[in-house]
Amino acid sequence: MRLPIIGYVLSDVIVSWIITLIIGGFLLWWLTAKRKWPLILDYIGTTDNRKIGTMYILFAILFFIRGGMDAMFIRTQLAVPDNDFWVFQADKYNEVFTTHGTVMIFFVAMPLLIGLMNIAVPLQLGANDLAFPYLNAISFWLFVSGAFIFNMAFFFNAAPNAGWTAYAPLSNDTFTSGPNNNYYIFGLQISGLGTIFTAINMIVTIARLRAPGMKLSRMPLFPWATLVTSSLILVAFPVLTVALLLLMFDRFYGTSFFGGEFGSPVYWQHLFWIFGHPEVYILVLPAFGIFSDIISTFSRKRIYGYTSMVISITLIGLLGFMVWAHHMFTVGLGALANSVFAITTMLIAVPTGIKVFNWLFTMRKGVVRMTTPMLFALGFIPTFVIGGVTGVMLAVAAADYQYHDSYFVVAHFHYTMIGGTILGAFAGIYYWYPKMTGKMLNEKLGKWHFWLFIIGFHLTFLPQHFAGLNGMPRRVFTYTWEDGVFLFNFVSTIGAYLMGISMLFVLWNLFKTHRSGTSSVDGDPWDGRTLEWTTDSPAPEHPFPNVPVVDRLDAYWYAKVNQTNLPQTKDVRPDPISIRTFQPILLAGVLMVMSIGFIYHWMWLQILGGGSVLAFFLIRSWTDERNEAYRKGEKS
Amino acid sequence: MKKTGWILTLFLLSGCSLRVLDPASPYADKITRLIYLSFGIMMLVFVVVMILFVHFLKKFHETSDRVDEIPVDESGNRKLEITWTVLPVLLLVILAVPTVTTTYQLTSGASQGEGGQDKERVIIHVKAEQFRWEFTYEGGEVSYDKLVLPLDKEVELRLTSEDVIHSFWAPNLAGKIDVFPDKETRLVFTANKLGDFQGKCAEFCGSHHALMRFETTVMEASAYETWLQDQ
Repeated sequence: MRLPIIGYVLSDVIVSWIITLIIGGFLLWWLTAKRKWPLILDYIGTTDNRKIGTMYILFAILFFIRGGMDAMFIRTQLAVPDNDFWVFQADKYNEVFTTHGTVMIFFVAMPLLIGLMNIAVPLQLGANDLAFPYLNAISFWLFVSGAFIFNMAFFFNAAPNAGWTAYAPLSNDTFTSGPNNNYYIFGLQISGLGTIFTAINMIVTIARLRAPGMKLSRMPLFPWATLVTSSLILVAFPVLTVALLLLMFDRFYGTSFFGGEFGSPVYWQHLFWIFGHPEVYILVLPAFGIFSDIISTFSRKRIYGYTSMVISITLIGLLGFMVWAHHMFTVGLGALANSVFAITTMLIAVPTGIKVFNWLFTMRKGVVRMTTPMLFALGFIPTFVIGGVTGVMLAVAAADYQYHDSYFVVAHFHYTMIGGTILGAFAGIYYWYPKMTGKMLNEKLGKWHFWLFIIGFHLTFLPQHFAGLNGMPRRVFTYTWEDGVFLFNFVSTIGAYLMGISMLFVLWNLFKTHRSGTSSVDGDPWDGRTLEWTTDSPAPEHPFPNVPVVDRLDAYWYAKVNQTNLPQTKDVRPDPISIRTFQPILLAGVLMVMSIGFIYHWMWLQILGGGSVLAFFLIRSWTDERNEAYRKGEKS
Repeated sequence: MKKTGWILTLFLLSGCSLRVLDPASPYADKITRLIYLSFGIMMLVFVVVMILFVHFLKKFHETSDRVDEIPVDESGNRKLEITWTVLPVLLLVILAVPTVTTTYQLTSGASQGEGGQDKERVIIHVKAEQFRWEFTYEGGEVSYDKLVLPLDKEVELRLTSEDVIHSFWAPNLAGKIDVFPDKETRLVFTANKLGDFQGKCAEFCGSHHALMRFETTVMEASAYETWLQDQ
């Protein structure tokens, strides 16, 4: 469709403009009518870990809807051979799968997990907040800023289109000119910065703010997973930053890191996967931590083989840095490189297997309660094992020459990412919902959600293994009858719709929980084992006026069993200081302005945005919210 | 899981002729064997996990008489944990040995460009560009999106790209090899079945990546010569 001034725009963009305007208008009206603005301002200015965690999850759900709709368009276009669904062919289809992948990884999976870490990790440690509350708010708003930059692209008819892996030279300005992939670079760059800050924050929190007596060997497994994941982030994300910066220079200033006489497109692949493979462990390890806590709680038993669980996640984290080239088996790196990376990849199966058996044996001789969080944890085990075994099959380098870039791979990583990360995030949300909001989500609707989701999931992705084996490459917008993959794709599409429908139960559940005026639950609705359940629901801003003293793993549980109370102390490190500030959102805003300046090559906006960012750095360098607390401390 | 059971059966019935598992060259045949081996070992693991999973759930789920039961505390079991560390390592060794040997056989076959057996090989230059395949034969004959190969003769493909990265994939005949703008990659295999086989670009390469296909026809050596002369 050709519009005056704007130019040529496809109808899907116009439809989404209209829908966004309608929903946006309705939201504005609703917020005003219900007098919600003070609440919103309160959340925007907060540095409280629970509120920030909740916002992470809310935004992740928003982007989940976006990425999910992309998935629906993909599956509808692929439902039958030679299909012409709406506009989703060729370039448009490429944009859709690019945004689907990028959004789901960076703006859904990451914030879901970081949100849960924000909510649960300090509580499980007996800490009153993260170590750096102000930095935490910065991290969050940088994530929002990056996500908005990335998602904005579609509305300006310039969605990134080189795949979430953005392989050079396709992602160079020679082959994808226009602002599209600039959005990709800046969206990831800014949100990635936020992720790095979060990692630092988590590491320091875990190192410094554990309750008295909570040695690392008595720490629950979710904080352990968070610690390992944060360390991985600290090493892996800067590699992405470097890669994106080099790509930006290639696109903007005519350097030739990934092409030309001295550069090579393979350099991009190395850099991307040196980040990219640790990234998948960054995504799955926190989920492992969540499952460990949940399986233990709902089996009424301590986690089986605690020490080997800790060693396993650490090993997985370390090995995760030594396997990146298994994404590049078909590049022609040579037999030696392929063999070495095949073996390191296979090795990861060992610690992962140890974890699976430990989870199973945690349930043995226990009392397994089938609550919604537990159902998700149980659904995870077979699903993730399928994803794991296909992972080992993919590690067989020679066989990967066949699987590589086919639907077999698509099926594999959805089994690990949805089966691990997304099921883990759902489990965590149902589990810690009382800590977030003070209410329990409806169990019956939760179970509907689980069953529809898990059945839909297997229907969608199991057939894709076979489509891949029958020669269907990934990232294709169509196929023919002769390809013999119609049945697989058709079933897959049905499954995808089922997953979509299951998400409606989540929305209904949220609506019902907050509508019906259900009363708040007490601090320990699940009969939990770790310190978060000693606080009120929802967790107050200052949850531990007196910090519990811990003498073993799951100390709260054993105190309950022995019908005693956990001893408490006031003699702890000073609490992090929470303040009310609008600097983080403003900083994120000016970074976004600067990014738009770069995306569209508007020099004046780059200078304006960059100058403002520097000004923020200066302001921050000369403020220290601890001064007031110091003064108070000196007086007393 | 029950649902997936019957679907699996359905797919296995229709899956007997999946292209990757229907090799038409010794190269593809080696990979097929490797796939079956790894699938077998992995199914063993999956079945063991599932048996434990179902058994534990059946036996230990909460029943009305166990609502208040507090199970006996146990922290782990060294022997069991060693078992499920060592057994997977053994399984992986069984898998790793053929993996490495096959990887060496297939990969070095592709890189030994100037080897002694060169004269025996039919050398075909492949040029990939958005979104078309160009095949140049030894006598300078050229065909587009159609590759013709002689039966039972070793073929060496020398692949380059005009623009972005592509990937050459004819699943019945061989695994993928990426095609780069800045270097030449090679793929060596011997087709041992007559017929037409699908080929596709397997590395996302832009707007019409999905349409960047080619057909491979394997013919008797004599028919191949005649076909070349007609070009």
